Amino acid sequence: MNRHRLHIVIMVHSQIIYEGLHTVLSQSDMDCMICKVDSLDDLEDILHSKKIDVLITNPLLLVNREKEVKRIRKNHPHFSIVGINLGIVDNHSLSLLDSSFTIFDTAEQVLSKLQKAGSNSELKITSNDDNLTERELDVLTKLVHGYSNKEIADSLNISIHTVVTHRKNITTKTGIRSQSGLTIYAISKKIISIEDVDLH
Amino acid sequence: MYSKFKFMYHVCRTYIKPGMKLFDLIEENPSLLLMMQHFDIDFRVGDSTIEQLCKKKGISEKLFMSVANLYNGFKPKENPINSIHDLKQIVEFLRNSHNYYREDKYPQISSYIKQLQKNHPEKELKLLEKFFNEYFAEVIDHLDYEDNIAFPYFIELINNNESVKKNLYSAKEYGEHHTDIELKIKDIKNLLLKYVAINDDLNLRRKLLFSLCELEYDLYIHSLIEETILIPFGYNMEQA
Repeated sequence: MNRHRLHIVIMVHSQIIYEGLHTVLSQSDMDCMICKVDSLDDLEDILHSKKIDVLITNPLLLVNREKEVKRIRKNHPHFSIVGINLGIVDNHSLSLLDSSFTIFDTAEQVLSKLQKAGSNSELKITSNDDNLTERELDVLTKLVHGYSNKEIADSLNISIHTVVTHRKNITTKTGIRSQSGLTIYAISKKIISIEDVDLH
Repeated sequence: MYSKFKFMYHVCRTYIKPGMKLFDLIEENPSLLLMMQHFDIDFRVGDSTIEQLCKKKGISEKLFMSVANLYNGFKPKENPINSIHDLKQIVEFLRNSHNYYREDKYPQISSYIKQLQKNHPEKELKLLEKFFNEYFAEVIDHLDYEDNIAFPYFIELINNNESVKKNLYSAKEYGEHHTDIELKIKDIKNLLLKYVAINDDLNLRRKLLFSLCELEYDLYIHSLIEETILIPFGYNMEQA
């Protein structure tokens, strides 16, 4: 099991705080991608095309922006907001946050809060393990020999629906989608022998 | 102890705005050169800003920025096609990228795979070559189909040709026909990075992998342009 890379967006106006956070994050062991936005509008733009796990922001920038924050949360339920407590606390905007840290926290404390916030993201674990189950190997072998879903279902005595599920799992685990690609995978992994394959 | 990490920052690319200089943007994301080629813009940009360049080349600033921002990772908020001129330009852009696939990128990848197969006569590579050749033929079919059927349809559509609407063809059909040709490129890349064992030959393998990544990136943008700009535009015209 591999941990999913954490996508972090920083929204602060102070360059010193941005650079400081950037340095702490980049030099930690955390596998993360960092980018900067200037406003909630820019954040929404980015959210259209990228999956973001955590927003780090000065809670004062959320004052009177409750509506936007709610909309973003609704559209992106796995997204967490972590505030930087600069000493000036506005209880209402604090209520929009999932957690917060202060600028006096140590790097370790900040990182552990971000890790925790990032673990809300449902997709954090992606199975990159290409160990196929026995049944998946059966389906793969038939597949690379040119059997159709129906033929695989009949020969293994399972439903077509189950065959489709197995095929989806095979693709998720191996990262290979096409039948020709899976054939080469099966040979590389010595699941089938090259002699079984018609090269013409 | 921190200094060695200094250049390993992962940051998002710039959201492109009209006053920015092409030179700075290319330095940040060299793939924009490919975009310029598809727009038929010379690489010697000097100090010109996007605004100046678009004016000089007669390209709508909005259209140019939508495409450029796609290359930088941002999807357009609204459809940038506002006139028949815009539509013709985006179709021309897509046609130019087809020529790049047909005449430059695919033959290059094909020759690398052929060479790799020659150097390593394992049968897996023979299969990989076969896989690629079949795929290449599919891609050519798809590009020909778009050039000859899909694009002329969109041009007819904006000319408000009523008979075209009664035609059996539609933007929806185009969307469905539009197969995800990037997926097989991903397969080949994943096979080379994860599974197929080849000894040494790192120069050739790196060149092949770089080419595959370049192609994958451009194909991705290409289908985004079709999906977020061209197809929604056609769909709206059909409803009008």
